[in-house]
Amino acid sequence: MTGQHTSVEPRLGPPAAVRQLAVPVIVIGLLGAAGYLVFPEDLAFLTRLISITLLVLSLDLVVGYCGVATLGHAAIFGVAAYAVGNACIAGLADPLLLLAVGGLSGLVMGLVSGAIVTRFHGLPQLVLSIAIGQLVGALSNKLSSLTGGSDGLSGITPGRIFGVFGFDMFSRTGYLFSLAVLIVVFIVLTRLVASPFGLLCRGIRDNNLRARMIGAAVYPRLIAMYGVSGVVAGIGGALMAINTGVVGLDSVGFERSAEALVMLVLGGAGSLWGALFGAIVFQLFEHVVSAANPYHWLTLVGLLLVAIVLFAPQGLGPAVASRWRRLRRAGARP
Amino acid sequence: MMNTVLSIGLDAVSYGMVLFTISIGLSIMMGLMRVVNLAHGAFAMIGGYFASYAIKQLGLNYPFAIVVAVLGTIVISAPLEMLLYRRIYRGAGELTQLLLTIGVTFVIIGLANYVFGPTTKSIPVPAMLSGPFDLGFRMIPTHRLFVVACGLTTALALWLLIERTDFGVRLRAAVDNGDMAEALGIRTQVIYSMTFAIAVGLGAFGGVVGAELMPIEPSYALRYMVTFLVVVSVGGAGSIPGALAASLLLGLADTTGKYLAPEFGEFFFYLAVIVIVFLFPNGLLGRAQ
Amino acid sequence: MKKTVGFVCAMAVAGMMSAPAYCDVIKVGVIGTMSGPYALFGQNFKYGIEAWVAEHGNKVGDHEIEFVYRDEESPNPAKSKALAQELIVKDKVQYLAGFYFTPDAMAAAPLLEESKTPMVVMNAATSAIVEKSPYIVRTSFTMFQNTVPAAKVAKARGAKKVAIAVSDYGPGVDAETAFKKTFEADGGTIAEAIRMPLSTTDFGPIMQRIKDSGADMIFTFLPSGPPTLGFVKAYIDNGLKAAGVALISTGDVVTEPDLPNIGDSGIGILSTYHYSVSHDSAENKAFIADLIKAGDKPGDITMTAVAAYDGARLIYAMVEATGGQRDPDKAIAAVKGMAWVSPRGPVSIDPETRHITQNVYLREVAKQDGKFFNKELQTFASQPDWGLRK
Repeated sequence: MTGQHTSVEPRLGPPAAVRQLAVPVIVIGLLGAAGYLVFPEDLAFLTRLISITLLVLSLDLVVGYCGVATLGHAAIFGVAAYAVGNACIAGLADPLLLLAVGGLSGLVMGLVSGAIVTRFHGLPQLVLSIAIGQLVGALSNKLSSLTGGSDGLSGITPGRIFGVFGFDMFSRTGYLFSLAVLIVVFIVLTRLVASPFGLLCRGIRDNNLRARMIGAAVYPRLIAMYGVSGVVAGIGGALMAINTGVVGLDSVGFERSAEALVMLVLGGAGSLWGALFGAIVFQLFEHVVSAANPYHWLTLVGLLLVAIVLFAPQGLGPAVASRWRRLRRAGARP
Repeated sequence: MMNTVLSIGLDAVSYGMVLFTISIGLSIMMGLMRVVNLAHGAFAMIGGYFASYAIKQLGLNYPFAIVVAVLGTIVISAPLEMLLYRRIYRGAGELTQLLLTIGVTFVIIGLANYVFGPTTKSIPVPAMLSGPFDLGFRMIPTHRLFVVACGLTTALALWLLIERTDFGVRLRAAVDNGDMAEALGIRTQVIYSMTFAIAVGLGAFGGVVGAELMPIEPSYALRYMVTFLVVVSVGGAGSIPGALAASLLLGLADTTGKYLAPEFGEFFFYLAVIVIVFLFPNGLLGRAQ
Repeated sequence: MKKTVGFVCAMAVAGMMSAPAYCDVIKVGVIGTMSGPYALFGQNFKYGIEAWVAEHGNKVGDHEIEFVYRDEESPNPAKSKALAQELIVKDKVQYLAGFYFTPDAMAAAPLLEESKTPMVVMNAATSAIVEKSPYIVRTSFTMFQNTVPAAKVAKARGAKKVAIAVSDYGPGVDAETAFKKTFEADGGTIAEAIRMPLSTTDFGPIMQRIKDSGADMIFTFLPSGPPTLGFVKAYIDNGLKAAGVALISTGDVVTEPDLPNIGDSGIGILSTYHYSVSHDSAENKAFIADLIKAGDKPGDITMTAVAAYDGARLIYAMVEATGGQRDPDKAIAAVKGMAWVSPRGPVSIDPETRHITQNVYLREVAKQDGKFFNKELQTFASQPDWGLRK
């Protein structure tokens, strides 16, 4: 497995590096522009979509690239959102600094939960991740002076970006800001997963024992990846807090974690594009269908999940991609 | 003071027994088939709906309604076993199992809402089991005593089934070494299917008798999805005494927490989980895998 | 439906041709719990509004009123804000209404001024909501409003030591404060004040704690929904009722749809509330009949229906006062001090607080002809929101 991956991605010469930079900018930029132009009245929703997308990307780093089974990732996202909310209420108004606060608190949360979760494999690992999530949820309810408890933390009013662009009801600023953040994060992550560190993580996922034999210190590497993942989730949480101005208990909840996992697997874990694709498609559909009836939506998602496990275990992204390749190959043949 | 400690202990035992009755089915399934079945709560919920429907619409009495609930749930789950669960026994990774069973749960929730509506469905208990029961030093809901009895009976019956019957011997063989058992002529697929039915039936049974504490409504399956999984992993998958110990211990953590500091919610429950799983990754009485 | 659309279009075309008389559609966005465990209350918003529309038509002058519904499902402030934003920006609603949960109402409040949208709160019961924006009016109740009479009743019935158990969120904390203040001012003692997380379903340990506190009465509040039933059952089954510990609550704990589930053992439970489905008046009888015509079931009617019905009245009055224009100051000014006879009794909008002033009734659970209902025993006339009137 590992050998295959390395052979697909040869050492990066300058053109490849440029391509790595240019493709995300162009693709996400185009998608973003399309969203802005086609759905100018849905920007609030699209902005929220971007922050959840960051959570899914973050989840991909640990699930897809390290093979860690977790159902508690929203804890990181939510804690960062609460931290950002509190920082903002305390008077820190600059959105970029707030983003840094989110990233930092995400880092801390990621390292802590990574240290606990990645010590184990299989069931204990899964259960620990769930327990951490629930623990954070119960604490968030209890510490209502910091979180507002069930009432939510409100009154978050960030200042202008660079002192110029203010946030308004129509979410234009918020949307473009979030889009820019997404593009930057995506580029950094693309570099990261192709780096020796990223490749080693994949090696650990595919064969833990072999990675140990090579002499890799597995545990610290997993914690490190968890830390990175925490930063990304934290940035997502920060965007959520900045853009909606309210942070509720749902941001740390089990359902948010489960939903993120579903999106990831839908798109295809182990590929950043898969995570992006899954998050966008899932939320777009959810937005349309669940407005009509949330329970029908649940049924639909359930059926989709079952179908994916049965027919496209790699996720929809790779399935579509391979079908496309096959079609092209067939088309090329005279 | 003594009185209070006793009372909390009693509440803990009865809550623990509800946890046990529902979780034990999952524990067996996870011990034998190694399936992390997040849909177990959904099956318990189906049992609850059956019982509620049987009593309120069909006018059946309580014991009969329980039988209907257990059998009905097994019948509904059988096609799921054949079409879906069979693919994820043993071999499949956790992630695949999680997704498939979350998917099944979502579908069941959606359908439950479609068929029964979003509101709580009560399961009326017979007069004999409702109201308070005087223990001398305190009153306790009669129904709780019934639940404790159900839990103990279940544990005993399962123990007998596994230790004293022919089926139990085959089952243990399949757990210890599936391939060897197959080679010796034990049809493991049949064993698996029967175990699945037993597990689901136990879940449904627990869902019905535990409905006073965990009311039946569509989000039941999601709300308690992880609770049962947590109990099983704390106890050690496949171990009946382990599940019993875990249920009682976690019941105690939860009840004491609720008595001393109710505003903390499930904090103590999950704190206990983290500590125990950290110290005993294979569960209190589980075997190293 | 099709016919109305056709008619409206025809009117619109006619309107364009003959310039002065024009017709338009004014949208009202209603956010309520349409699905999930609290769905009954959101659906009653809808029935209440439909009952009003059935009685008064869907037009105010030349303006057609259209209600657009969105689902809040659970206390989720972020989602609620997104819904409100979408309603304002995309659906271009002129009014917001509904809101079952306090956090959800609070989250929408910051949008009102920027978008010049008045909001009619039809349930959420924390006092402070109306202070979050000058464009909020409320037709439901507040915890203070219903709780202060409860504390008075407790005192009058001879309670000395009361244990308070409330859900741990805004309205619960309000209820606790209101009861404590009133009861202690009257010389009573609070033995214990317990806050329970909203997700609690096992109330055994809490009953034990109340018992240990030596209280002779319990005051409780939980939002209507699945947990209230569990609380009442735990109270009865743990022997507190048999031991003579009385239970008084706000009416949220003994809503009419829950009474059959509580059963005979619930008979005699006291509550103070602003509306009982069995309230004896001509207005209420007509209202109930219209609700049922709109599709509500007799056993499913809750207080949210009457709040929505009166809320629709306010919205119609605001549309009339503003001539269909987006002018929140004028709209709110028009309903300040407005008074009418609602199905729940005489009510008015307090010009200071923009909250509804109404009678609060002491009721007890009773059974007649095999049906359970809340029997009104005593009336506390024209109660303001005691939380805002300091």
